[in-house]
Amino acid sequence: MNAPVTSFDAVSVAVLSPVARFNLRIAPADLAVASKVFGLTLPTKIGAGVRNGDRAAYCIGPDEWLLHAAEADQTAIMSSFDAARADTPHSITVLSDREIIIGITGPAAIDLLSTCCPLDLSCMAVGGAKRTVFDYAQIVLIRDGDDAFRLEVWRSFFPHVHGLLEIGVRELAVGL
Amino acid sequence: MLLIQCPYCDDALPELEFAYAGEAHIDRPKDPSALSDEEWRDFLFIRSNVKGVHAERWRHINGCGRFFNALRDTVSDRFVTTYKAGEPRPDLSGKEPAQ
Amino acid sequence: MTDFRVEGRGRVNRAKPVSFTFDGETYRGFEGDTVASALLANGVHLMGRSFKYHRPRGVVTAGSDEPNALVGTTRGKGRFEPNTRATIQEIYTGLTTESQNKWPSLKFDLGAINDRLYMLFSAGFYYKTFMWPRSFWDSVYEPLIRKAAGLGKAPTEVDPDHYASRYLHCDVLVIGSGPSGIAAALTAGRAGSKVVLVDEAAEMGGTLLSEPSVSIDGQPAWDWLASAMAELDAMPNVRRMTRTTATGYYHQNMIGMVQKLTDHMGDVPEGAPRERMWRVRAKEVVLAQGAIERPMVFDGNDCPGVMLAGAAQTFLNRFGVLVGKQPVVLTSHDSAWYSAFDMADAGAKVVAIVDTRESVPQALQNDARARGIPIHLGQTATATKGRLRVEALRINPVLNGKVGAGRVLPCDAVLVCGGWTPSLHLFSHTKGTLDWDAEAKAYLPGHKTEDVHIAGAGRGLWGIAAALEDGTKAGADAVQSLGGSAGAATFEVADDRTGSGITQKELPTDRSPGKAKAFVDFQNDVTAKDIRLAVREGMKSIEHVKRYTTNGMATDQGKLSNMNGLTIAADALGKEAPQVGLTTFRPPYTPTTFGAFAGYHKGAHFEVTRKTPIDDWAEENGAEYEPVALWRRAWYFPQAGEDMHKAVARECKATRESVGIFDASTLGKIEVSGPDATEFMNRMYTNPWTKLGVGRARYGLLLGEDGFIRDDGVIGRMRDDLFHVTTTTGGAAQVLNMMEDYLQTEWPDLKVWLTSTTEEWATIALNGPNARKLLQPFVDGADISADAMPHMSVVECTVAGFPSRLFRISFTGELGFEINVPARHGRALWEKLWEAGQQYDICPYGTETMHVLRAEKGFIIVGQDTDGTVTPEDAGIGWAIGKKKLDFVGKRSLDRPDIVAKGRKQLVGLLTDDPKTVLTEGAQIVADPNQPKPMKMIGHVTSSYWSEVLGRSIAMALVEGGFDRMDDRLHIPTETGGTVTAKVTGTQFYDPAGERLTVE
Repeated sequence: MNAPVTSFDAVSVAVLSPVARFNLRIAPADLAVASKVFGLTLPTKIGAGVRNGDRAAYCIGPDEWLLHAAEADQTAIMSSFDAARADTPHSITVLSDREIIIGITGPAAIDLLSTCCPLDLSCMAVGGAKRTVFDYAQIVLIRDGDDAFRLEVWRSFFPHVHGLLEIGVRELAVGL
Repeated sequence: MLLIQCPYCDDALPELEFAYAGEAHIDRPKDPSALSDEEWRDFLFIRSNVKGVHAERWRHINGCGRFFNALRDTVSDRFVTTYKAGEPRPDLSGKEPAQ
Repeated sequence: MTDFRVEGRGRVNRAKPVSFTFDGETYRGFEGDTVASALLANGVHLMGRSFKYHRPRGVVTAGSDEPNALVGTTRGKGRFEPNTRATIQEIYTGLTTESQNKWPSLKFDLGAINDRLYMLFSAGFYYKTFMWPRSFWDSVYEPLIRKAAGLGKAPTEVDPDHYASRYLHCDVLVIGSGPSGIAAALTAGRAGSKVVLVDEAAEMGGTLLSEPSVSIDGQPAWDWLASAMAELDAMPNVRRMTRTTATGYYHQNMIGMVQKLTDHMGDVPEGAPRERMWRVRAKEVVLAQGAIERPMVFDGNDCPGVMLAGAAQTFLNRFGVLVGKQPVVLTSHDSAWYSAFDMADAGAKVVAIVDTRESVPQALQNDARARGIPIHLGQTATATKGRLRVEALRINPVLNGKVGAGRVLPCDAVLVCGGWTPSLHLFSHTKGTLDWDAEAKAYLPGHKTEDVHIAGAGRGLWGIAAALEDGTKAGADAVQSLGGSAGAATFEVADDRTGSGITQKELPTDRSPGKAKAFVDFQNDVTAKDIRLAVREGMKSIEHVKRYTTNGMATDQGKLSNMNGLTIAADALGKEAPQVGLTTFRPPYTPTTFGAFAGYHKGAHFEVTRKTPIDDWAEENGAEYEPVALWRRAWYFPQAGEDMHKAVARECKATRESVGIFDASTLGKIEVSGPDATEFMNRMYTNPWTKLGVGRARYGLLLGEDGFIRDDGVIGRMRDDLFHVTTTTGGAAQVLNMMEDYLQTEWPDLKVWLTSTTEEWATIALNGPNARKLLQPFVDGADISADAMPHMSVVECTVAGFPSRLFRISFTGELGFEINVPARHGRALWEKLWEAGQQYDICPYGTETMHVLRAEKGFIIVGQDTDGTVTPEDAGIGWAIGKKKLDFVGKRSLDRPDIVAKGRKQLVGLLTDDPKTVLTEGAQIVADPNQPKPMKMIGHVTSSYWSEVLGRSIAMALVEGGFDRMDDRLHIPTETGGTVTAKVTGTQFYDPAGERLTVE
């Protein structure tokens, strides 16, 4: 086996810095409250995302949103949601440590992800996110651009997923 | 590998994202203590084992997370239709049965 | 050695000579050759021995349908593959190949004695020969059959190659790159569809590669092919893939394809995968796989040198190889006449064209005569001469069904054609129906179940013009099905070779048909006589005939033999072919490596191995691991010279005497949050939750609706509307799924939400009398003194500066804490505690010690002490049921007649009479060891350990009526053959009063 290759011209794989991550569950009818608290109009269609600076929100279920923010804002965001809870029941859970984020960028990004992800990624909207699978691991895949993806994977599955991505990069680098 | 239409995501997605969850339209009795042993046995264990169009539950477990219902032909394996949990079983009369 | 290469013919690269070995001898060929074409160029026809009779066999085809020329290939160290088709494997310098099924040599094989024992090996011989006596089944017959069975030898080394896989999505997948496939791909590609065109061969073109004399759109076929390829390559929406076999066609146009990436390379790039499994989802599929030529069935038709006429034409035109210099052509189809013409034009002296038909188009006859080729119509073939290579063919005229006198035609090759079978294997995978077409005398695609189009010879069409026309139509249809618009293209074809033919059973003979070795299935050595015998012996269904004779059951799946077998069986049954039916084709289309299926799932990636945030520390500190669900968990931490027993005894002692540290991060954690959280918990768990105060924790027991224990764990109340639920390591996903199921589908009105936080937290357990002393200095924002923080409580605070959910709980019976910190801090906290714990001789312990410590206390492990049929009462934890609750999941079942009946298996303790004896987990238990066999088993040992603190062994067991057997003596067999006697006890072996929890 060759030495690890994590990038070549066509694609690179990088472990990204952690962010403040929240799982928000709220009745869709109450979504406006959450949008106000979070300061971002949360999308209503599963798979859609919105982003403004550090803050991003992705709808990943009919009443489920993945929220991203700057780490420094984590406590304040939790407090804001706490304050809103009495009037508007919801669930907000800090998950900043549950997942590790892997960035996959480059013209061969879709090829690399397609080694283990069964979705037709060419159809995925830029700016959106989907919960899906990568090999045997559940992931959330976020598309930041035509050739730029972020993959969020539960921490314990990270060695498996990252190892497969490394194999995939080597394979793509060979060019066969 | 099947493509399954998730009625919540409104998208046909790979079977790998889904998990089977048994026969559909078997509601948990509101007051189980009111049931005779035989009635409770039937609720627990007796299933229809249909040859043909079968109403079953699936969960988009690696997707939106929702349980939903499906009509699927157990002979051809094909999905006829899918619908949200809580909705009645669609009336297929007038539609071609799946091959 | 004669050179059979023809100047000016073929597409091999004459500038690039290649040498390789076959059975130790070095042969030369050219880049672009297959093993088969290169050997034929050297005059070698004999390439293997047959499976059953070890008869000498030569190459029959030029493609993936090859039944005979199977060789072992060695592509370097550890890279041996048996049964490689010589007609597919490309040569490169350094390739080593060998023949199979022979000993001591290919030319002299002792196994050929089977050929003389022919009568013993007829249809169904396994069933007839190996029946009696019964005692021979295991000791004699099976070893004998196992030894003789199998084709080629299995590799003995671990496959060192990498295998890749990839998902691919396209609008139109075109399988087969002959004229139909190319036309379809061009049409769909020009319309802008995302097209994938694949072919199993190294080069695209299919039939065009064997028909250079045809011209298309005013260009010679090969020039047209080159421009078509160039046009396809110029389209960004078209992907071409060679050496790629579509092996299986699954639901909703999912096609499995295996691409060979390196088998043709002498110099393989470092790290390159050998093959890639493509999982293609196509909106529309065009099957353009052509047709497969059928052999003729007659005595001696398997002699090396007898091959398909179309194959000979391919070897000549594609590889520039004459398979013989004096061939006889034996046919029932016009196509072989063209093969004869090409052979003659390339310099062969065609001995004769022998056609079973009495009438053949005059034009063909004229063309033959013009070349000086003798013609014999209305003939049969009744024998071949030669053993290692055909020397002559015996033919006889057939007049009014009577076979006349034979004449012998000396030759060095017999080129046969018994017609063509549309290649519809993939279509058959879709459960599309195959309907008999009386005119084409072939099964053609009928009802379709997928969005698929079949084009060209697969629909029984013949000739390049028809194939192109049908292909472009299929491409246009596919585009239109997608909502696009595409018109069919037109092609001008000149010098096309069209034709027709007939299908027939085994050829008539003037000799005893019972002595004829007229092979139908070359790979499984099935003869026409075998099929007739099967019918005589009562096999009426073609499926039974297939299994009884094994016709079509070899690795080629009957590509050559199915139709001939069917025709003969139909004749024997006195029925028409369609009334007899067709056997089912199943994936894979051609033999596929295990590696291609396994893909990346080997070695470290065989399956997921989940690791905790503290896993690295455990590895650095010498932990042995055990798998728990998908996790690997530190099992124990052996010190120098320690085995598991010694290490665990030390870890147990250290924990009970001072403090032990344990990585509990794998415990499942679920956040149950919302105004109805309490109601939800009341409905899910057996326990009552309403009165549990904030900051307190309780053991929770989860049942299935059937009343059996599913999971358990400690649950802390963080707020009125927020519970921190823990589950077993293995149960985490199932518990969350079960909760979601009830919440979404039974109680959607409840305002409560569930989130998995298993991996948000790293969880470190401190247990032992010094646990608090160790922990206290690290804690800020909470008083963890015994008074302020009683057993079974939880507090949010910081530990070593990390935000924490700190539980005071115990799974060991000692004073215990479980510290949850954000996962990224898990290792840092562990190391701080480790360092500070040195003053208390802190001891890291693994899952084995955890198991022992909890067993000493009689705490159950769900899945070990329960097995899915154990109720709370059975397990002795009926106290965990909220007796006043009206309902919870599983409650109604606890009143079921079987659940309240006497004699259920109940969890009890066992103490062996000899305290040193540790029972075997899983061992069965009997009440009376002297009862007659078979004895009545009354239960089994579920947990069994050496207890260091008690200085003796302890065990738990599920025993029928166990609670009523207290102090009884039961008997348990040991692994070494003896029996151990043990006394039934309660399950709390250590500190039953729980005094150790209250240490100050």
